[in-house]
Amino acid sequence: MRVPVAVKVGAFALFVMGTYTYYANSIPQIQSKPPAELSLEGGNVTPAQLVKAGEETFKTKGTCEICHRIGQKGTRAPDLAGIGSRAGKVKAGQSAKAYIIESLLQPGAHLVEGYPNIMPQVDKPPIALNRSEVWALTAFLESLGGTVDVKLDDIPKTVGAGAAGGGATAELKLPGDAKAGEAIFTGKGGCIACHKAGKIGASPVGPDLSQIAKIQTPDYLMRKILDPAGAGTVAGFPKGVMPPMFGQTLTAKDYMDLVAFLMTLK
Amino acid sequence: MALAVVAFLTLLSVLPAVAQDAAKEPAYRAFPLIGSRLAVWAVAQLHLNFAAFILGVPIFAVIIEIIGWRTGDARYDWLSHEFVKLTFAAFSTTALLGALLLFLFVGYYPKFWTYMTSIFFPTYWVYALLFFAETFTVYVWYYGWDWLSGPRKGIHVGLGVLSNLFGTAILLVANSWVTFMISPAGIDESGALKGSVWAAINNFTWMPINIHRLIANIVFGGTIAAAYAAFRFLGAKTDEERARYDWMGYIGNFVALSAFIVLPFAGYYLGREIYAFNQTMGITMMGGFMSWLWIIQAILIGVLFMGSNYYLWLGMERIPGSERYRRYVPIMIGILAFGFMVWATPRSMVITLDEARAMGGTHHPVLGFLGVMSAKNTAVNMMILTTFLSFVLYRRANRISTKSWVGAGMIVQWVALGLAAVVVVFYGVYGYFVESMVRIGFSVYQVLAVLGAIGVVMAIDIPMFKGARSTGTIRWGTIAPRSQYVLILLAVTFTWLMGLMGFARSGIRQHWHVYGVMRDSSVDAVTPAIGYAANMITIVTIAFFALVMFIFWLGGLGEKGMAGGSGHHAPAPVFAGGSDADPTPAPSRESTGGRSPQRS
Repeated sequence: MRVPVAVKVGAFALFVMGTYTYYANSIPQIQSKPPAELSLEGGNVTPAQLVKAGEETFKTKGTCEICHRIGQKGTRAPDLAGIGSRAGKVKAGQSAKAYIIESLLQPGAHLVEGYPNIMPQVDKPPIALNRSEVWALTAFLESLGGTVDVKLDDIPKTVGAGAAGGGATAELKLPGDAKAGEAIFTGKGGCIACHKAGKIGASPVGPDLSQIAKIQTPDYLMRKILDPAGAGTVAGFPKGVMPPMFGQTLTAKDYMDLVAFLMTLK
Repeated sequence: MALAVVAFLTLLSVLPAVAQDAAKEPAYRAFPLIGSRLAVWAVAQLHLNFAAFILGVPIFAVIIEIIGWRTGDARYDWLSHEFVKLTFAAFSTTALLGALLLFLFVGYYPKFWTYMTSIFFPTYWVYALLFFAETFTVYVWYYGWDWLSGPRKGIHVGLGVLSNLFGTAILLVANSWVTFMISPAGIDESGALKGSVWAAINNFTWMPINIHRLIANIVFGGTIAAAYAAFRFLGAKTDEERARYDWMGYIGNFVALSAFIVLPFAGYYLGREIYAFNQTMGITMMGGFMSWLWIIQAILIGVLFMGSNYYLWLGMERIPGSERYRRYVPIMIGILAFGFMVWATPRSMVITLDEARAMGGTHHPVLGFLGVMSAKNTAVNMMILTTFLSFVLYRRANRISTKSWVGAGMIVQWVALGLAAVVVVFYGVYGYFVESMVRIGFSVYQVLAVLGAIGVVMAIDIPMFKGARSTGTIRWGTIAPRSQYVLILLAVTFTWLMGLMGFARSGIRQHWHVYGVMRDSSVDAVTPAIGYAANMITIVTIAFFALVMFIFWLGGLGEKGMAGGSGHHAPAPVFAGGSDADPTPAPSRESTGGRSPQRS
């Protein structure tokens, strides 16, 4: 039987595409996941926890490893081994933490000889670290040969402002009623049992939310309420404590009111 | 097509209202079953494939028409009409897919579309007007082929040129939207437009992508047209038909190859601008999570180079007198194969700790050196030079120069090629000893050396072989059938490569709709791995070819029952197993004054 040309050509084309597809599936598979937000403000964080959180930021959201190595000279950026001790000796009168913070927020201020001025500001998009993350990252870098002494107050309060990306996000207006949301917080939602929110509540079980709107986006808060484990746990607090059933117990209005209230906490 | 235009214009007129409503709506909606991302991905890739085809083919179709007009060779006029016929059949599908893509954005990504509209709304009207002008011009160009022949041929050619200008302008407008998403400009920190929309249009990657896409569209159009000819060749019933489609396939491949040779240079320019815009983005693209994608790209480009050369070598077998050049083929195979292997060598590999210890690190002690850009730039430039040499040998296969200065001319040509090779290798090796920022600049010298050599060789070759003695006519239609599968391989590979590069262009934004300005907070914010992307690219490429086959089949229905099997237009000119002493698309001298004899 004579095979029609269309069948032969079709089979050949499928074979070619199949080969490419098979090969593409055979090599290492690397996804690029959106970075999770780290929130440490209001929590009691030990230096060790801070350093660990900073290391995570270094490897993930900070994208530092694309250029920097620790214990190995990079082609695009300097080796960071021992930066915790070296940083305090670069400029007379400037502490290690001040040097590191300035290098992160204004990378052009301290260019290492032989390297181009290519590092982006870490608190601006696209890296867009928030204040907690810059704090943790500074602690991690200090730990590389130095002493971890950075405090949250050392990080300028302006850090991370607009870090979620401006544009349409900045225009977001929540439809909920903040006043009604406060009632949900203290009543039906039971949030007050674990969280402090300004003058309301005092429980230390969960993070202090008194300034949560400064450091978190509505997207994060909405996700955190519905999926506490999936949104991540604030460093220094035990995992799995926050109940996962708010999606069932709160009505849509309750939910939006609660988020609107939380977004007033600045 | 008219319906599509009306639908598009209607949609455009209500866009501001849609955009306002979108501000009150959720940021995202979920497309049923497959999700919004896959829906947009599939439609966008299909739309871009069709758009590339209908924008690329007319560029060389009008050039071929001009050749036919100025030389009076009816074959070129027929061929140009054949190419435009293919384009015309795909026009409506392109417009409908574009409208569908717009619906998906407005419906499933309303917030994103609101933001884009806040920046680019004035350009929507320009786009619509250009689209209308393009449609109108192509209609008149296609349907007026017979009407505007003879003394009015100049007007007809003018319409072809005009339709290309409109088409290119459409490309520039659409590119401004997509490049703004990669490298936004002209906006303040909140993402709002600061001044003129021109600043947003003229962003870092706009012009590089304009150039890259324009060239790539010509390559793509050439490969698809050649694959169409190959399909017709394989199914041909007569020698005459086989000869005609052999020639058409050759021209399609010639066009594709000519543009393909300069495509890597446009790619370098685009890469440089991405680095200039944002180092992090550039590094993520080449050295971050996307680095493995370039290994796949290397394989595909290697296949394209090898396939194009193989087709030329097979084609030489139907040219009497080409035997004297066969001794060069093994050397060229060697250079291409080595270049292919270098380009496909990864810098580092995912390996176990034991394997790393055995190898002495994550980089192979020898092969690791071939994984860096110095080696790859050198490889691709040598492959381009070799492919160019293949073309030169093919071009002169059945011709012997009668010029007195032929010896000196040949020497200068070989010296130019040799010097280019030396410059390419020198900067390739030197690149290992300098900083990366210096190394990047070396690729410019390598490119200039190659382009310079191509220019010198052609500047000598054209006069040297003018009026050359023929060693025999080309036996069109006698090429080995496997050569036609090579043409199909090239079309499938390039289409797949376009899908892959589309994924790269979109993927380098990672979790941003508009890089650094508007974050993707949808459930699809994860940028998938290469395997997932490859599955998707293959599915869409299969759908594209199925649609193309269907559209060509529909277009071919009009030919059924027509005398000569060529529809309303003039029957195809006779080839009779070769009528031309020149294997390149130089004309024969059967002057018809721009009018096909059958049409008078």
